[in-house]
Amino acid sequence: MRNVLERVLNLLAFLLTAGRPVTAEEIQMTVAGYDREGGDAFRRMFERDKDLLRRLGIPIVLQAVKAGAEPGYLIRPEDYQLPDPNLTDDERAALWLAAQVVRIGGGPSGPDAVLKLGGARTTTGVEPMSADLGVEVDRLAQLFAASTERRTVEGRYRGRRRRIEPYGMGHRRGHWYLVGVEDADIRVYRVDRFEELSVGETPGAFERRGDVDVRSELDTQPWEAGSEEPVRVRLRVDREMAWWADRRLGRAPISRLELDDGAIELELEVTHLDAFVGWVLGFDHHAEVLGPPEMRARVVDRIRGSS
Amino acid sequence: MSRTATRLTRILAMLPWVIAHPGSTVEEVCERFGYTARELLADLDLVFVCGLPGYGPGDLMVAYVEDDTVVVDTADYFASAPRLSPAESLALLAAGLTVVASGQASPELRSAVDKLTRVVAPEGDDVLTVDVMGTSELTTALRDAAAAGRAVEIEYMSLGRGERTTRVVEPWSVSSAMGNWYLTGYCRSAGDERVFRLDRIRGVQVLDDRFEPAATAPSPVGYTPSEDDVHALLRLAPSARWVAEYYPVEVVEDDGEGLTVRFATYDPMVAARLLIRLGDQAHLVEGVEVKAALEELRSRMLARYAD
Repeated sequence: MRNVLERVLNLLAFLLTAGRPVTAEEIQMTVAGYDREGGDAFRRMFERDKDLLRRLGIPIVLQAVKAGAEPGYLIRPEDYQLPDPNLTDDERAALWLAAQVVRIGGGPSGPDAVLKLGGARTTTGVEPMSADLGVEVDRLAQLFAASTERRTVEGRYRGRRRRIEPYGMGHRRGHWYLVGVEDADIRVYRVDRFEELSVGETPGAFERRGDVDVRSELDTQPWEAGSEEPVRVRLRVDREMAWWADRRLGRAPISRLELDDGAIELELEVTHLDAFVGWVLGFDHHAEVLGPPEMRARVVDRIRGSS
Repeated sequence: MSRTATRLTRILAMLPWVIAHPGSTVEEVCERFGYTARELLADLDLVFVCGLPGYGPGDLMVAYVEDDTVVVDTADYFASAPRLSPAESLALLAAGLTVVASGQASPELRSAVDKLTRVVAPEGDDVLTVDVMGTSELTTALRDAAAAGRAVEIEYMSLGRGERTTRVVEPWSVSSAMGNWYLTGYCRSAGDERVFRLDRIRGVQVLDDRFEPAATAPSPVGYTPSEDDVHALLRLAPSARWVAEYYPVEVVEDDGEGLTVRFATYDPMVAARLLIRLGDQAHLVEGVEVKAALEELRSRMLARYAD
């Protein structure tokens, strides 16, 4: 490991100070640690070292030196340097603690990132709170970078190829969602449902429209986020679970009536009927769709099921 | 990240700190970057033999310890830490946002998240949002009770029977996973370890009664197989594949047309409820207890629609 680290530190120091693209050949001749290696061995070693630097988030670009000649490698100091958010020690310690209690990608969320920000005095106490944001960190990072850098996203989603201008992402009800514009329509995608995904090369590939409100797109309930013809559904929830319905509603219903026996009657606008049926079934027999009749029939069909 | 990558990150984070804070002691640097004194010395030795081509005395970096003070010189190209990779930015910001959404954030964490957002997502603060369905008074009360080792009395709604029970629980941890918050602890009423969904806890009262909190954080919410489990064989349509990721099932057959899974649960109603939710996307192949639960649940629910 020591040899690798020495060689990579030398490579990084050289590329950061060269101020011009340098060819692989020049690197092999100049940077200590490569000089004793022949062609193929050098190539393999150099590829691994570049991968290591890229994994750390260090951007190495390949740039033409002059027409017809072999391109060279370059690390621009301004691309390398951390834009300093000017955190205080207390703020760094608070971020470190948050990174300990929130799991993403199957582990704590980024202790290395806190080191880059200047490290933190850490505590050893036991924090009884924790959260798990799922495992798909690579794909999330790709989409996050695409959103912040305004790169287009191409992928397959629900069996169709799409070209999406990404605006932002959010974690809701246990899933990650992407909000984007596709063919001039604002749409919401579940990140884990993309069958293929790639991010375009060009930053600033689109202008952000002023009328896309990522937060409000994400804060709709699943049954409000569909594209079906809106249906007004009346729902009765028994006294025992009325408080639970209120807590889970999120946005205010069209109307809410409290009955003498403590039950409530809600009127809701639904644009994703299947999602709504799923939600109602979560109340077991303590909720009932009162109308319209087609909606009642849908619920009954689902309860009967196939078995 | 590999050990090499982690070590390189720490070196590239430590050097700029020491350059910007001349006179830092070994203890300060160790505390901030999670080093033992020995590890720090090893990394400084390594830096000492690296630098720019020529690799003579004026070209190599200077890094050593003198009178307990860390000295770094002629390493100006490493005066800034490397920027965060997209994965690091995403994970750290998501961690901070999650704690903010849970209602547990200190003022320092809130300001840290604001500063970090301005640097890594300058396009707007809605590029990344996290909502973990905060019932924040409950989360706070239970988290604090767990940290202080105080028993709580909760009013809990058990689904199905729709009945509310009052239970005394020694709270161990509060955690968020798959869109729900859970309380794990020792339920004195049941005489055993139990997991409760926070959204079904209607009210909580912290008792004067104390218990000794565990010295190590309990493992995240999971399923532990038990002798009393009932088993069932379910056939899932391709659109219901997600069940295999969400529930502790064993995949018996995966033939491209769908999945056959073995489902183990201590409460057959859990499987029955899932089957109803899935409608014609799933059916029960085998399992008498689940079949009985399914029939009971189905007739209870259909009774609401018997007109």
